Amino acid sequence: MAKTLEKVDVVIVGAGAAGSVYAAVLAEAGRSVLVLERGVERKLGDLYSSQTWARRLKWGAPHVVEDGPDSIWYNFNAGHGFGGAAIHHYGVWPRYHPEDFELHSRYGKGLDWPYSYETLRPWYDQVQKDVGMAGDAKKEIWRPIGDPYPLPPVLVSNHGKVLARGFEQLGLHTAPIPMAVLTEPYNGRPACIWDGWCDAGCPIGALANPLAVYLPRAQQAGARLQGNAHISRVLTDKKGEKVIGVEYYNREGERIVQPADAVVLCAFTVENSRILLNSANSHHLDGLANSSGLVGRYLMSHPALSVFGMFEEEMQNYLGATGGQLICQDAFPKTGNPNGAFGSRQWEIGLAIKPNDLLGIAMSRPDIYGNALHQFMQEGARFLGSMVGVCEDQPMRDNRISLAKDKDRFGQPLARVTYQVSEEGRKLWQNATKEGVDIFKAAGAKQAWHGPMAGQHIMGGTVMGIDRNKSVTNGEAQTHDLPNLFIGGPSVFPTSSSINSTFTAHAVAMKSAHYMANNWGQLAD
Amino acid sequence: MTINRREFIKRGLGGATLALAFEIGGGSLLLTPQQARAQAVPLQQLTADEAAVLERLAEALLPGAAEAGVTHFIDHQLGEDPGDCLLIAKYFQVRPPYRDFYRQGVAGCEQLAQEQFKQKAAKLNVAQLDQLIKMIGKPGTRTPEGYDLSLFYLCLRSDAVDVVYGTPEGFERLNVPYMAHIMPPEGWNG
Repeated sequence: MAKTLEKVDVVIVGAGAAGSVYAAVLAEAGRSVLVLERGVERKLGDLYSSQTWARRLKWGAPHVVEDGPDSIWYNFNAGHGFGGAAIHHYGVWPRYHPEDFELHSRYGKGLDWPYSYETLRPWYDQVQKDVGMAGDAKKEIWRPIGDPYPLPPVLVSNHGKVLARGFEQLGLHTAPIPMAVLTEPYNGRPACIWDGWCDAGCPIGALANPLAVYLPRAQQAGARLQGNAHISRVLTDKKGEKVIGVEYYNREGERIVQPADAVVLCAFTVENSRILLNSANSHHLDGLANSSGLVGRYLMSHPALSVFGMFEEEMQNYLGATGGQLICQDAFPKTGNPNGAFGSRQWEIGLAIKPNDLLGIAMSRPDIYGNALHQFMQEGARFLGSMVGVCEDQPMRDNRISLAKDKDRFGQPLARVTYQVSEEGRKLWQNATKEGVDIFKAAGAKQAWHGPMAGQHIMGGTVMGIDRNKSVTNGEAQTHDLPNLFIGGPSVFPTSSSINSTFTAHAVAMKSAHYMANNWGQLAD
Repeated sequence: MTINRREFIKRGLGGATLALAFEIGGGSLLLTPQQARAQAVPLQQLTADEAAVLERLAEALLPGAAEAGVTHFIDHQLGEDPGDCLLIAKYFQVRPPYRDFYRQGVAGCEQLAQEQFKQKAAKLNVAQLDQLIKMIGKPGTRTPEGYDLSLFYLCLRSDAVDVVYGTPEGFERLNVPYMAHIMPPEGWNG
């Protein structure tokens, strides 16, 4: 027998990037808000400066079964606890370009968003003002129209300067990377000290993770946050016409029903679909919000690569932000690429490097071991340079999240991911490998090489669109089937672009949350 | 520049600080993996044979890793909930329990050692061990049962790097400023 709690206006599932925005906006609009987070309750003071300890911030359970040809690197990309994936994200926040919203209309490829860049632009502007973004809008020659950044650009150390030389030699442009990292004190938060611990979580709040910006705002406005809440189902009324709350298991394993007038699923890409599919009932046999049959489909990830080089100069590669110092989007035009590849690419240049972990010095050359590895570590600590290339993936219907046969400890089927990098994405990645090594050689690297393909960011699964037969939500991230069920986060993106997803996830959530706040009377009816 | 083992220890590699709560005599004690090894803290997850193979391999992958307590680090973390686990195996989408992953890795190496050298993995000479590492380090190397030995290589190598270089002392050896906002839990500074 489940214990039923007192009804709230809104239950938000997930305390990450999107969930924190919904919580702040709706609580400030006077709604009673409860945020339920599967992972642990965490505060800024829990964010230790260590790549090893940082692994606690990443997803670990329940296991996501990946059985396709390629991996979306779910555990590495997803988060665990308050802050979600955004607690360990790098704060690289470029905007989607106008063409990313009109992929099908302009190119006959993929899907369209239900609105244009111009519709989302004010929400990008609002978010960048809220968080205090740093950048140089004029030097970003590729940047879509938008308000100038409120703060000056990030630090460029010798690492960035040396690599910029390679871009210049090849006639390519660089600009300070747009970042949600404070370069000056802002709204009571301190500036970054360029220590390169972004990935381990920024405990001073210089990087705009949810614990630094929107969750405190939400709590200040009265929102409540609860960790260790394992959401099992979203519940509907007897007619299956509206959602009436959620069911979850608490830390002690008790089954709890939390009634609510509206539910917002912000549990990140895979879990959003898993929860909807696990919520099937007699009115929604294939899962909630799934009349289109598209819940779980159009899963996307960015095919990414790291490029490394050993230089003669001291690189100061320990300084800066984990996400880099400079950006290049010269390869953003989606057509006219070598080998006929369709889609965009970008470079994030001069990432702060630590000795260990997936993106550390040692892993840049996994073939080296023994005493040679000690020697490489000594050399790499002084002379290694790195950058990351991010490529666009195409939305493909067969890339999907479904339910596995195995179950979690509460008896709910695990998520199963079947994913293959799109052929276009693979071609873009191949182009990037060549260009990246050429850039490093032009910059003066003694040796230059690239790492394997990796999946960066995860999008899709509950895509938005105009046609209810071809999408899961409308442009307000409101599900077509259930008017008081909303979905937040990159799972609603119909296209991936090659842009880091967190800024856009914030902007989309901000737009949707304001819609909810402004139309509350209809939703709660 | 080649660093031999003696020089390596002399440079302070033994002082790696990664304090974890180890179970001893019904209680728990905050120790670094190196201290846990030096005090012969009983292993909770790995058998002595498994630990011997892991330690031999890890030491070959990164000299100094054995004394830095790599097997105690692994053993300790195999007892953690996957959500809190500090092993890099988690990033590679290894299915919990991670204990199975390490056990299969050890078994795969034992199998190779028998096939190639008619010898137990922990007893291989330096040249044989080097050959075995080259085999498992080759991307895509799998056991007949399909277990990915190259992923085992990658994870064990990373575990060795974690205990040797992923600490403030490890950074110091590389002359890299640690610049911590918040040092990890009590005991990290030895």
